[in-house]
Amino acid sequence: MATNTESVDLVGDEAATNLARAALFAALVGAFAYVTFPNPVSPVSVTLQVLGVFLAGIYLGPVWGAASLVLYLAAGALGAPVFQGGSAGVGQLVGQSAGYLWSYPLAAAVVGAVVHRGITLRDLDTVGLPSLVGAMFLGTLVIYALGVAGLALVLSLGPVEAVTVGAVAFLPAEALKIAAAVGIVRSDAVAAA
Amino acid sequence: MTLAYVPDDTAAHRLDPRTKLWFQIAFAAAAYAYTTPRGLAALTLLGVGSLRLAGGGLRDLWSYRAAFPVLAVAPVVAGVTLGSPWLRPGRAVDTALASYRVLLILVVAAGYVRSTPVRESRAAIQHAVPGRPGQFLGAGVALVFRFLPLLRRDLTAAREAVSARGGAERAVTDRIRIVATAGINRAFGRADRLGTALAARCFAWNPTLPRLAFGRTDVPVLAASALLAAATVWRVV
Repeated sequence: MATNTESVDLVGDEAATNLARAALFAALVGAFAYVTFPNPVSPVSVTLQVLGVFLAGIYLGPVWGAASLVLYLAAGALGAPVFQGGSAGVGQLVGQSAGYLWSYPLAAAVVGAVVHRGITLRDLDTVGLPSLVGAMFLGTLVIYALGVAGLALVLSLGPVEAVTVGAVAFLPAEALKIAAAVGIVRSDAVAAA
Repeated sequence: MTLAYVPDDTAAHRLDPRTKLWFQIAFAAAAYAYTTPRGLAALTLLGVGSLRLAGGGLRDLWSYRAAFPVLAVAPVVAGVTLGSPWLRPGRAVDTALASYRVLLILVVAAGYVRSTPVRESRAAIQHAVPGRPGQFLGAGVALVFRFLPLLRRDLTAAREAVSARGGAERAVTDRIRIVATAGINRAFGRADRLGTALAARCFAWNPTLPRLAFGRTDVPVLAASALLAAATVWRVV
C-alpha cells in the first residue's frame, strides 16, 4: 500500500453532498439502462437513459448535472455495466454509440442551463412549462445531432443513412420521455429537489 | 450474463491498469487507421488473443448484444440505394469493415473489464488526471460502482409494485413517470444519507490508494502498444 505522508485534505460538507448526488445520479442513469418499456409507435423498445440525462440537468443544474454524466461515462469506460443493455468498457466510447454517449454531459448542461437560466439553481416551481419542454427539446437535439454524426463517422455512413439507422426508430420515444419528465417535475413527488 | 471483473490470476490480471488502458487506446487508434481486410485480420488475432489472456471468451461479448442490430443493419443501409443501381457493394463492404472494427474494439475492452478491479481503475484515473478533477473522478467512479446494484434493485422493486397493482393497464408515460420518480427519490435519499455519512467519517480528497507499479510483464504489452501507436502515426502522416 502507498502511504500518504501529507496531511488529510477533507472534503467540505457541501462538496461531499454534491459529489454524492452526482455519483448517485450517474448510477441512476446506469440503472435506467436496464429498464425497458414497449414503445407504442415503434418496434424498438424504450430505455430510460435519456430521461436520466434530462432529469440530471433539471435536478442537479448545468454544472453538477454535466459532472454527473461525466462520472457515468468514466464509470462505464472502467467497467461498470451502465451502458445500453448493461455493457461496459472503453470500446463503447469510441464505438458506434460514441456520439450519443459523449453528448450526454453536454445535453445535461444545456437542459440545466435553460431550465435554471444560468448556473445557479432556481426553484423548479417557478419554471414555466415552455422552458421545461424547450430545454428538453434542445437536449434531444444535442443528443441526436452528435449521436448521428458519431454514427456516420464511425460506420462511414452518409448523413441520410446515419439518420435512418440512428434516429428514425428512436426519436418518437423521446416525446414520451419529455412528457414523463414534465409529469415528474410537475407532480411534486420528488422530495429532495 | 453481465460483463464484469472476474477475480483470477491470468497474465492480464497481473498487468498494471495503466498498461491495459494504453493498449486499448493504441488498439482503437490502429483499428481506425487500418480498416482494411488485412489490417483487421491482424488486429483480430491480437484482440482475441488479449481477451483470451484475460481468461475471457465468446460469452463475454454477449453483454454487447444491444449494439449488434445497429452494427448488422448499417452495411445493408449503406449498400442499398433508392433507385438505380439499387445496390452498391463497395459502400456496403466499407461499412461492414467499419462495423467489424467496432466489434474488435469491444472485444479488447471486454478483456480490460474482466481483468481490472475497481480499486486499480480508480488509482489509474487519479494517476492520469492530476489534482481535484482526478480525485473527483476517482471517488465518483468508485461510488457509481458501489450504488449501481442498489439502484437497479430499487427500480426493479418499483416496477414489480406497479405491475402487482395492475399497472400494465396504464399508459406508458404514466408507468415511466412512476418508476422514474421512485428511482429519483431513492437516489436522492441515498445520496443525502451518504453525504452526511461521508462528512461524518472525514471523507478526504486524498485517500490511500493501491500502489501502482509497472512490472516485467508490462514491458511486452507496452511495447506492443507503442508499435500500434507508431503504425497508426505512420499511416496517418
